[in-house]
Amino acid sequence: MKQVFTRPASLAETPMHYCPGCTHGVAHRLVAEVLDELGLRGRTIGVASVGCSVFAYNYFNLDFQQAAHGRAPAVATGIKRVLPDRVVFTYQGDGDLAAIGTAEIVHAANRGENITVIFINNAVYGMTGGQMAPTTLPGMRTTTTPYGRDVRVTGYPIHVAEMLATLKGVAYISRVALCGVAHITKAKRAIRKAFQAQLDGKGFSLVEILSTCPVTWGLQPIDAVRWLEANMLPVFPLGEFVTDGQKERA
Amino acid sequence: MAQAVEKVATSPKEHDALISGSEAIAVACKLADVDVITAYPIRPYDTVMQYVAKLVSNGELDCEYIVAESEHSQFEIVKHASAAGARVFCGSSGVGWMYAFEALTVTPALRIPMVAMVGNRALDDPGAFGVEHNDALAVRDLGWQLVWVDNAQEALDTALIAYRVAEDRRVFLPCAIACDGAFLTHSQSQVKIPPQEWVKRFLPPYNRGDLLLHPDNPITVAPQVNEDWLMEIRKHNDEAMKRSKTVIREAYAEFAKIFGRDYGNPFFEEYQTQDADVVLVGMGTLSMPVKVAIRRMRAEGKKVGFVRIRWFRPFVAEELAATLGRFKAVGIIDRDFSFGSPYTSGVLATEVRAALYPAEKRPPVLAFICGLGGREVTVPDVQRMSEMLLRAAAGERQPLTTWVGIRE
Repeated sequence: MKQVFTRPASLAETPMHYCPGCTHGVAHRLVAEVLDELGLRGRTIGVASVGCSVFAYNYFNLDFQQAAHGRAPAVATGIKRVLPDRVVFTYQGDGDLAAIGTAEIVHAANRGENITVIFINNAVYGMTGGQMAPTTLPGMRTTTTPYGRDVRVTGYPIHVAEMLATLKGVAYISRVALCGVAHITKAKRAIRKAFQAQLDGKGFSLVEILSTCPVTWGLQPIDAVRWLEANMLPVFPLGEFVTDGQKERA
Repeated sequence: MAQAVEKVATSPKEHDALISGSEAIAVACKLADVDVITAYPIRPYDTVMQYVAKLVSNGELDCEYIVAESEHSQFEIVKHASAAGARVFCGSSGVGWMYAFEALTVTPALRIPMVAMVGNRALDDPGAFGVEHNDALAVRDLGWQLVWVDNAQEALDTALIAYRVAEDRRVFLPCAIACDGAFLTHSQSQVKIPPQEWVKRFLPPYNRGDLLLHPDNPITVAPQVNEDWLMEIRKHNDEAMKRSKTVIREAYAEFAKIFGRDYGNPFFEEYQTQDADVVLVGMGTLSMPVKVAIRRMRAEGKKVGFVRIRWFRPFVAEELAATLGRFKAVGIIDRDFSFGSPYTSGVLATEVRAALYPAEKRPPVLAFICGLGGREVTVPDVQRMSEMLLRAAAGERQPLTTWVGIRE
């Protein structure tokens, strides 16, 4: 019988702890598939961040380093500068990358560090209990905005992809979403381009992945996907923001 | 435990609520009518910020509530809100508290009477959410007042007392209230919530006086001072910390009058010490297994007592040394570590030994490291420590430091 579907070699056989309907599993799989297809499993080092995906090191069949909250791009920088022939990527959520890690991500991108960042944006702090994140949508209910985010008091959702796209050190940036097969296929394509940019030595690459958090959103898994599509896509436009950036060499 | 005494205030009444230690701190913020609160989520402190958010959203607490992008900004925001005359609250846990350390170090020197809650948590890496005391203890040398509580009622009461002490012009130093992660932050118990009127009577408005940052009072906060003035500033902090002891005593006495809860000696609680041969000393929620074990051992005729330290800063060395001098042996339980310290023990043991040195009577001191990383301090653990103490009291040589409840 012809085998048409199997676990990517870059994923371990450890059962994931993620909640039902959480899209971390899909994102993990896409990254693993890309690494398999590019033949990178034996020379890739991942950097796990703080948040639900802190346990990514258990699920990827790769070398991993766990970083302190927000520090993943700095950790990746240290590794990549010493081991430039390895492929180095970070896997960070919005509570990590877009809040406490803002300085690190901006400056790693601006330096044109030749690393790849997988940025999961689900508009809340998932692990600590569904508090408002910098990416929380206007009017969105969280445990710290029980009547909805009031932008007059708490500010607006941060558009990380667009913000980083203004920096010259960036080689590739796009935003994708995990709602439906077509979007997931596009997401995989974007992840592949991001790793390819690193392989080509072009500089910093990032894929922002709009994701679900059904438990803290208080939704069933399917409703969460529909909610993402209906509410997050209008606020966070999808697309490629930088595709041909190249670090200027002295 | 607090003893019921006759209340000066009779009306309106307190009401009972089943709340966690974190919620008790949030309720205290409401009662103290705090003006500016900042937050950044990290377990186990994050439950406080959620309860505060609920109070603000429901219109029960009128304050500026800012969710910062990190603990460092979180503490910087309230520091300077306080400089501009606002009553402020802040909090964090473990590495979050450490991430704010630059802000924490300079808060006492600026004489900012911030009240902060530390939901005690181990310092990762490697990752750990459970209680250890090293996070809060890290500020012990810097001019922070530091108090440990062991139940939700004490958390609420101590938060109100902390504002009164911190904002007293004789003190003007920040105060951190340490609450054991999970065991206190997430455990509910019945709490008496006092009426606003009582709190108003107890807690005067925050008056920054001539240190107020305001256009009508032209000053510079935190200028460069170098060797010209820094030593004098440190000495000011030292004097303020010494005065804090008096202000703490006054505040507890006044609290007992208005609220009807008398904590006795504010600095440490004594449990079954009157006829004790040996005592254990510790801080925080380990008091529960210790007290249970003591009751069991007392039934077997073993005279063990317990001294629970509340205020670690200021540390009442003479008073504590005089108390501990009454016993034949003293055992210090540290829920922290201090690698390479004298006799390789913990922070509390080192401090207690130092406090005892000039004392007339110096009983043998045994140090115990127990309950790290959120591991429970169990009744058998306490019994084992007590047995060692009783042997020491009988003149049998015992190891100076013992790790208890660890895999062999």
